[in-house]
Amino acid sequence: MTRILVPLAILEGESVSAGLADLLKPMDVTVLGYHVLPEQTPPDQARLQYEDRATAALEDLATEFGAADGTADYRLVFTHNRKQTFDRVADATGADVYAIPGATGPVDRLLVALTGDVAVDRIRSFVTDLIGDRDISVTLFLATDDERAGEQLLEATAVTLFDEGLHVRTELAVDEPPLEALVNAAADHDAIVMGERAPSLRTLVFGEEAERVAAGSVGPVLVVRRLEDDD
Amino acid sequence: MGTGSPGGGTNVEGESPRIEPTVETDEATLTDDAELERTLGLTGGLAIGIGTMIGAGIFVFPGLAAEQAGPAASASFAIGAVVALLVALPASELATAMPKSGGGYYFISRGLGTLAGTVVGLSLWFGLVFATAFYLVGFGFYAVDTLAELGIAVGEELVIPIALLFGAGFTVLNVTGTENAAKLQNGIVALLLSILVVFLTYGGLDAAGVVGEPSVPEQFAPAGIFPVFTTAALVFTSYLGFAQVATVAGEMKNPGRNLPLAMVGSVLVVGVLYVVTIFVATSGLGSETLGDLGETAMVEVGRHYLGPVGAVAIVFGGLLATMSSANASVLSTSRSIYAVSRDALLPQEASRINLRYGTPHVALGMAGGPILVLTATGKVELLAEVASFLHLVMYGLICVALIALRRDEPEWYDPDFRVPGYPVVPALGAVCSFALILFMDWTSQLIGVGIMILTTVWYFYYARDVDLKGKL
Repeated sequence: MTRILVPLAILEGESVSAGLADLLKPMDVTVLGYHVLPEQTPPDQARLQYEDRATAALEDLATEFGAADGTADYRLVFTHNRKQTFDRVADATGADVYAIPGATGPVDRLLVALTGDVAVDRIRSFVTDLIGDRDISVTLFLATDDERAGEQLLEATAVTLFDEGLHVRTELAVDEPPLEALVNAAADHDAIVMGERAPSLRTLVFGEEAERVAAGSVGPVLVVRRLEDDD
Repeated sequence: MGTGSPGGGTNVEGESPRIEPTVETDEATLTDDAELERTLGLTGGLAIGIGTMIGAGIFVFPGLAAEQAGPAASASFAIGAVVALLVALPASELATAMPKSGGGYYFISRGLGTLAGTVVGLSLWFGLVFATAFYLVGFGFYAVDTLAELGIAVGEELVIPIALLFGAGFTVLNVTGTENAAKLQNGIVALLLSILVVFLTYGGLDAAGVVGEPSVPEQFAPAGIFPVFTTAALVFTSYLGFAQVATVAGEMKNPGRNLPLAMVGSVLVVGVLYVVTIFVATSGLGSETLGDLGETAMVEVGRHYLGPVGAVAIVFGGLLATMSSANASVLSTSRSIYAVSRDALLPQEASRINLRYGTPHVALGMAGGPILVLTATGKVELLAEVASFLHLVMYGLICVALIALRRDEPEWYDPDFRVPGYPVVPALGAVCSFALILFMDWTSQLIGVGIMILTTVWYFYYARDVDLKGKL
């Protein structure tokens, strides 16, 4: 079973919507409560003061994700560097997917983006796992300049998902700005699944693509992590 | 909170040291319920060490040192470097054995017990306060010179007001600022090193007679040997930064490797730069002229070798360097206050942080307030010597603590780095640290001893029943 990391800025009151908790409940979930400190503050100093409060909040959150059934746990980290903490904990827990929590009600339409150089096979098998036998429909989305190759990829992926018993439709955006097209397509969906892409100049300037999508679409985004050997 | 520590005793208010069992990995510290990410790499460690040190030695001391010791001021800086190195090596071993926030204070309280720990911990707080005030006054001189270069002559009476203004500014910024200044600090250090390397390469070639007009060498130690040592005691303030690396030991990635490299490396880098700078400066202008120019003598050295461009580069470098030293020291001060308050040697209130900015406002205030008072005195040499005095006591005791721990190694003592040349190196380190104190001005010695007596009294009043020895 794929493990999903749900990082939450716990002491800033960041929380998860009921829709996302229900969506992830059947999966293995690690709630990563983190608190980013300015460099003036040693992490240990913050721990002494906030550990009890943060732990109490995390226990409640883990219960929402199914801690009672043994599918969810939590970790609490005090850090100066958020990204470094995410990567370390994701590696340590073997989480292939991380969630950017957003606001949503019950999830019954999932937008799955295959745009760019992402691990389509791993995204597909994660979506199959995630939906299981629930009544959640899938829209496969792809933005590309190459219409024919794009259609083929969407078609092939749709067929395998269909064979698993999922409701699938496809949406192809040709010659549109990929990110804007994805955010537009997200409008009539409850959550987004996408792949993490190799860092580039764009991510350096504008920030991580997944976070920009999350900001643009408001809803939760599940990001299938890039592995070293994906290259 | 304050309960659950394995022994440790209580202070006069009934608080216990907050000590919990931890597991250290290269990437994080794991406590029972939480993890503390290690986020500083080797570059960050070197930037803290070099960034703290470089401001004083290059930009403030050359004039003052040359006045006292002549061209032999180079030798004074070399003596300082040797002493610093003799301490940096034992400190590295202890830091890899105990990679925790608190640095020198932590090693001494665990190795030698609570009395030595209290004296060093509180003295370090004051030592850093004196050092920061010294950097700020240096900054004030450079600020006035910058205005002069820009054609605004304001005179030296503005040095102290400017220093006070910026001292208050740094404190407020550190309480409210959540921007990541570490990257900026790395950039500043890199920029400074580049300016210095260009300047010193050109100046060095000139001074050695390869380019430019040949100059007549003056007598190396015009005032004899004794001033070389008193000057070494004065300029030792230029080497205080390496131990500040140990105050962030708990946040350093792969501490077994990075801590020794950052501490020893930063001493070597600044030591070489200092010696070369003094050589270039005294060769260029002659030590008498340098002495007359005082705190910002380096500006004229820059002008001598590279014309107006050189002067502007040095003025700019001096501003950045003294600023980065002052800011890094404010941060170290707040960390050292946290370390003693965690161990119940100060009220635990002192380590409160606020959720709004996530900064330790109480400790920063306890750093900033005294810094401003001392800055107002404007006595550069006194501030520098008292700072060195209080640090040297800690350095000597670090070496003693190492020897004490090695003679009867506790089970938990398992450093990744072991000091070469044990027991000679730590023994020499201790002797040299204490000896350097003897060459200081008696006023500085008196103030230093006074502060240590006060901290001892504080121990007997407040923390007599706290037990820290061997309590990890």
